[in-house]
Amino acid sequence: MVEENALLGLTLNLELETVNASLMNRRSLLNRFGLGLGGIALNELLAKESLGAAAAVDRGILGSTHHFAKAKRIIYLFMSGGPSHLDLFDYKPLLNQRNGEQLPDSVRGGQRLTGMSGNQSSIPMVGSPFKFTQHGQAGGWFSELLPHTAGIADDICVARSMFTESINHGPGVTFFQTGSQIAGRPSFGSWLSYGLGAENANLPSFTVLITKGKGGQPLGSHLWGSGFLPTKHQGVLFRAAKDPVLYLGNPAGVSADSRRLMLDRLKELHEHQFAETPDAEIQNRIDHYEMAFRMQTSIPEVTDLSDEPQHVLDSYGPDVKTPGTFAANCLQARRLAEKGVRFIQLYHQDWDHHGGLPGALPKLCKETDQPAAALVKDLKQRGLLDDTLVVWGGEFGRTAYCQGKISTNFGRDHHPRCFSAWFAGGGIKAGSVYGETDDFGYNTVKDGLHIHDFHTTLMHLLGIDHERLTYKFQGRRYRLTDVHGKLVKGIIA
Amino acid sequence: MTRVLFVSFFVITTSTFAAPGKVKFNRDVRPILSDKCFFCHGPDPKKREADLRLDERDAAVEAKAFVPGKAEVSEMIQRILTADADDHMPPAKSKLGDLTADEIAILKRWIDEGAEYEAHWAFITLKPEATKEQSIGKIVSAGLAERGLKLQAEATPETLIRRLSFDLTGLPPSPEEVTAFVTEHQFDPASSIQHLVTRLLASPHYGERMAVDWLDVARYADSYGFQVDREHEVWPWRDWVVKAFNDNLPYDKFVTWQLAGDLLPNATDEQILATAFNRLHQQENEGGSVEEEYRVEYIADRVQTVSTAFLGLTFECSRCHDHKYDPITQKDYYGLFSMLQNIDEAGLYSFFTPSPPTPAMMLMDAPAKEKMAVMKAKVAELEKPKTTTPPDLSREELAHFIFDELKGNKLADALHAAPPPQPKKDAKDKGPPDLAAVLKGENKLVPGKLGNAIQFTGDDAVDTPLGNFQRHEPFSVSLWMQTPDAKNRAVVFHRSQAWTDAASRGYELLIEDGKLKWSLIHFWPGNAISIRTKENIPLKQWLQVIVTYDGSSRADGLKIFVDGKLAAVDVIKDNLTKTIAGGGHDNISLGERMRDRGFKGGLVDDFRVFGRDVTTETDAELQKARAELFTFQDAQKELMVMKELPQPKKAHVLTRGEYDKRGEEVGPTTPASLSPFPKGAPKNRLGYAQWLTAPEHPLMARVTVNRLWQNLFGRGLVKTTEDFGSQGERPLYPELLDYLAMKFIQSGWDVKTLVKEIVTSQVYRQNSFADAKTMTDDPDNQWLARGPRFRLPAEMIRDNALATAGLIKLTLGGPPVHAYEMSEAFKPVTPGAGDTVYRRSLYSNWRRTSPPPAMVAFDAPRRAVCISRRERTDSPLQALILLNGVQYVEAARVLGEKLHLEAKGDLPKMIESGFMRCLSRKPDAKETQICTQLYQEQLAHFKAVPKEAEELFKTGNAKRDVSVPMPEAAAAAVLAQALMNHDACVVKR
Repeated sequence: MVEENALLGLTLNLELETVNASLMNRRSLLNRFGLGLGGIALNELLAKESLGAAAAVDRGILGSTHHFAKAKRIIYLFMSGGPSHLDLFDYKPLLNQRNGEQLPDSVRGGQRLTGMSGNQSSIPMVGSPFKFTQHGQAGGWFSELLPHTAGIADDICVARSMFTESINHGPGVTFFQTGSQIAGRPSFGSWLSYGLGAENANLPSFTVLITKGKGGQPLGSHLWGSGFLPTKHQGVLFRAAKDPVLYLGNPAGVSADSRRLMLDRLKELHEHQFAETPDAEIQNRIDHYEMAFRMQTSIPEVTDLSDEPQHVLDSYGPDVKTPGTFAANCLQARRLAEKGVRFIQLYHQDWDHHGGLPGALPKLCKETDQPAAALVKDLKQRGLLDDTLVVWGGEFGRTAYCQGKISTNFGRDHHPRCFSAWFAGGGIKAGSVYGETDDFGYNTVKDGLHIHDFHTTLMHLLGIDHERLTYKFQGRRYRLTDVHGKLVKGIIA
Repeated sequence: MTRVLFVSFFVITTSTFAAPGKVKFNRDVRPILSDKCFFCHGPDPKKREADLRLDERDAAVEAKAFVPGKAEVSEMIQRILTADADDHMPPAKSKLGDLTADEIAILKRWIDEGAEYEAHWAFITLKPEATKEQSIGKIVSAGLAERGLKLQAEATPETLIRRLSFDLTGLPPSPEEVTAFVTEHQFDPASSIQHLVTRLLASPHYGERMAVDWLDVARYADSYGFQVDREHEVWPWRDWVVKAFNDNLPYDKFVTWQLAGDLLPNATDEQILATAFNRLHQQENEGGSVEEEYRVEYIADRVQTVSTAFLGLTFECSRCHDHKYDPITQKDYYGLFSMLQNIDEAGLYSFFTPSPPTPAMMLMDAPAKEKMAVMKAKVAELEKPKTTTPPDLSREELAHFIFDELKGNKLADALHAAPPPQPKKDAKDKGPPDLAAVLKGENKLVPGKLGNAIQFTGDDAVDTPLGNFQRHEPFSVSLWMQTPDAKNRAVVFHRSQAWTDAASRGYELLIEDGKLKWSLIHFWPGNAISIRTKENIPLKQWLQVIVTYDGSSRADGLKIFVDGKLAAVDVIKDNLTKTIAGGGHDNISLGERMRDRGFKGGLVDDFRVFGRDVTTETDAELQKARAELFTFQDAQKELMVMKELPQPKKAHVLTRGEYDKRGEEVGPTTPASLSPFPKGAPKNRLGYAQWLTAPEHPLMARVTVNRLWQNLFGRGLVKTTEDFGSQGERPLYPELLDYLAMKFIQSGWDVKTLVKEIVTSQVYRQNSFADAKTMTDDPDNQWLARGPRFRLPAEMIRDNALATAGLIKLTLGGPPVHAYEMSEAFKPVTPGAGDTVYRRSLYSNWRRTSPPPAMVAFDAPRRAVCISRRERTDSPLQALILLNGVQYVEAARVLGEKLHLEAKGDLPKMIESGFMRCLSRKPDAKETQICTQLYQEQLAHFKAVPKEAEELFKTGNAKRDVSVPMPEAAAAAVLAQALMNHDACVVKR
């Protein structure tokens, strides 16, 4: 028997691969069994196979999707702080009619409130000061603060019945990003990187862009962390700085020529070492240094917006010229999508309007409305919207009652029971409205859409059965949707 | 077919490499049943389908799941094989996938052979015979022989000293150390290794290296985590860990002190400090959070950490239901929960004050303690038995608000009638202070007890201008009040910024559950004095209430009088050791407080403040002595620790694990499937520690030695360090695990002895390269057919660069520092000045939402939760850090200078010295040739662009050594950089 083991290697791996094609792809086999000599040969085979790409493309643990994927990637525009659905998408004239009256107990239904307004003696309803009009074939309502979004009404699906369990920002954002309220699980993007790998070997498969200089509720790098998944799947923060990626650029005094010469010699040293002591780790190291060198070119190429034509720049609005603005990040997101980045996460902070909402909300909309709409149109015009999912939304909505005293400069507290988000592209039912809330915009009356269902549905569009993308950790199979999640067919085309 | 079948079986289940012979339940069968069947047919009765459980033989046989000896007629096999979708197992909807042909074959053979069960291997008590006539080398050699393999030859002495230096100190050997060792090794290999190991174990850097892994387990960080993630000072605990390893504190004590040091008889400061281990979980203070929700999360984190660290079990699975795979019930979970929650803590830390959450200990050295003892003695001496007299409201009145007349929004102080307006001399002269109270919002004046009174909305305050008392100052307040209804909670008056957001810092009179509660607070609930009336106060009638405080910082110094009569009270809290001032809002306010419940509809009249305890005479000398003592106490730093409550808190099963869904009450308990709780041991954390460290405990020693093995070999004998349950991996060498565990116990839990035995074993000393086939077959090195080899962990990567360049600053302990990379962190911080950027990585400031980015890129965990096993990945982003990171560029240029200087520009010497420093060996001819070419190419390049050479030397804090000529120094720097990026420099071989 033992002698037979000597035959193990390439032949067996290939044999197995046929036997177990549905269980594991070749890449994962390689990962599992290491890159011994046989492994290396196979690795090269794979590389050649991969449609002429510069390097072997990582196809993730799944190797191929579970079913036909309508979408290949996601651009997630996260509006951190909790935008007011009542002042943007969910038109509730009743609140204007009954402005100042106490929210009926029957509507609140004993729901827990945050400690910020939970001890208020009075919780008066407050109507939206903004005008609403209907747009698109589905006749969805849009506030006057979102003229550009209203203009793409027929390209998007507005869900008015999102809900969550979190009433605070920390757990709320973490829930959307990782499927759990408590920090520590892998981020959505990490799951995709782990499951599907990268389309482009020269760029990270999960990138993060944050609007620069925004205040508001703090974000943390755990939001794009890989949790218990290998750290190569964590989100890579692209910064609006000289080095978009940590230490991407050569240090002062090191030119590309000098670096190339050094890397050539280092490669020789490694090849010499490999000849002496053949260990796949050394071969891996050689590959990584070469890929790092390529990234030094490929990343600046994708982050340099100077080759964008004027009319495209104009469509994103005047902020696009300032690096790190939401507009510039939206355009950046389109470029990353074009290059095949799997998950592009944008954050725009400062939607947490406990007070001063009538003044603050128009400002936030001005920063985001046009770029977000331009992104959808730009993707569409390039044919990219068909297989790119775009998501716009925050961690919760805001209360129908006002926080503190009612005044013209009122605010709204956090509201988890219903809020709005919109989706576009990649198999989403364009030009539709999903779900319904009561006349107070306080409770969902039709088609509630929970975070787990949201994750399930997006994964479905990406060709993934959410119950089958799992990682065994601490004795159980973890997944993004924990033990929950159902497919929401109503938002799918 | 047979061959393919066998071979593929072998590959898929390398962990259960089935030698022909009888199928073994634990080795071959349990992994299959656990993974594919137990979810629906396992220990959890709620999820159990068809009332069938397969984790117990009798139940399975009784349910006719199989007929022992007859696989073909066993329903289990039929159901697995059937194509009928309704009957097929596992059902498609489970998404577990079908069993492989090999798995089915194993099950069939197992049933045919009688379907015997075994107790789960990890739950079987260790036997003293495990160590008899055994050794690491013997066990592994025998295992390898079965596979036709044998141990590799011993690694070269150069490799060994490098491996041992990293493993035992986290630092590379110096070239001198290498040379000396190689020389000694030539003459007497065995004793040279003994000497080396003894030297390294005695190094103070041994403790630093060992601490790193424990910090992962203990989820140590320098910030609270979650959203706000403010920084906190817990580094004295980290320094204690380093010291404990260096002192070789027996491991049973190491564990007992951390779990329950406070409960030991006559606990020392060090033992109490160790308990900070339980408080290092993330904590929250986001505005509006629900306090109880987070308190429950904290305790859940403790349960998870304790069970991962000491039991290697996934207890957290039982938070919502009985465990699906292991015999842990939901009651067991809350039984442990009940032991870990008995401290006076809040679920939120304070936003408005920087105080550490309670309970906390003062960090004092011996002189400070002595000083405090003297001060305390002085206070005690001056404290005479008090004579209490009925309240005397005639003296030292500071303010008197009668609330009769509103001028604008002002309510006058009757004692300080507003003085006549004086002509202003200049703009700076603001005139005398305004002593009126301010009525806010919709509060209004209504007829009261004496003239008018205030009626409160509950959302608006009446602010007085005074009341910032210190805790050595006696004071009293008198008022008339009336409540319209029975209130669970209402703020009558207070001096504080907020409720939970300030941990109630200050003082307050509340109505709580219908009773009056009078408190002085540093940090609620653990550092406060508080009394509450035994009787509910009457509704809808006027009461005269007087509350007094005598300046003693004790609960017996508080009194409540209702209608002139001293109220009978319960003491709610009696532990005030720190200031009640601070946090903002330094004046008394009535009827409302930030994010608290106001006195809605309540009435207050005739509000009077006195600068004395109105029931006794003030003793000026005593007050002065107290002021001195309290000021001294206030200045002492504190650390969060454990301090057991005298009365345990009630624990309940929480339905679905939710904080507000309390089910049946549970008491302290440990799982029945593990060893029994020691007789006579207290049912608390201390008893729990005694249970863990008792020799018959099946898990504690196994889990510990496995983690130590992992830290040296890159992989535990049980790969799933965190899970020794049914879903975890069974060890390939269970005898070795048991041998080490038993030896560990027999040695008195001596860590250094255990480490020494491992690293001097033949198994550890092997060459880390094997023939290609062995490498391919066993990439994880599960068989141990070669020595350990893996990329250095994050801390060692950085420390190695610093040490190689001679930059490292090896000071032990102290507050955390900011490395260069912190300027690139998500929340950027200016790097430390001078040589603080050269401290060991262990001391890098660890903010959970913004950890050092390069460390994270090299797989350092974020320390949000307990991690007992790091993932190891390689990526091009790591290459970018090593090539371009400030820390590494600086190290390369400093090393380059050093090489050039020492070799006086002689290139072969430079190359040799560079190899010795970076790789701990000499270059061969080919390597010398490549490096020569590298240097000359770079020299030519920098000659052509001398400006670049100058630029290169501007990275980092280190000064350039101008005695080394340019551009030679630059070329040498690039040479150094190449060597520092060499595989043999960053991979432990």
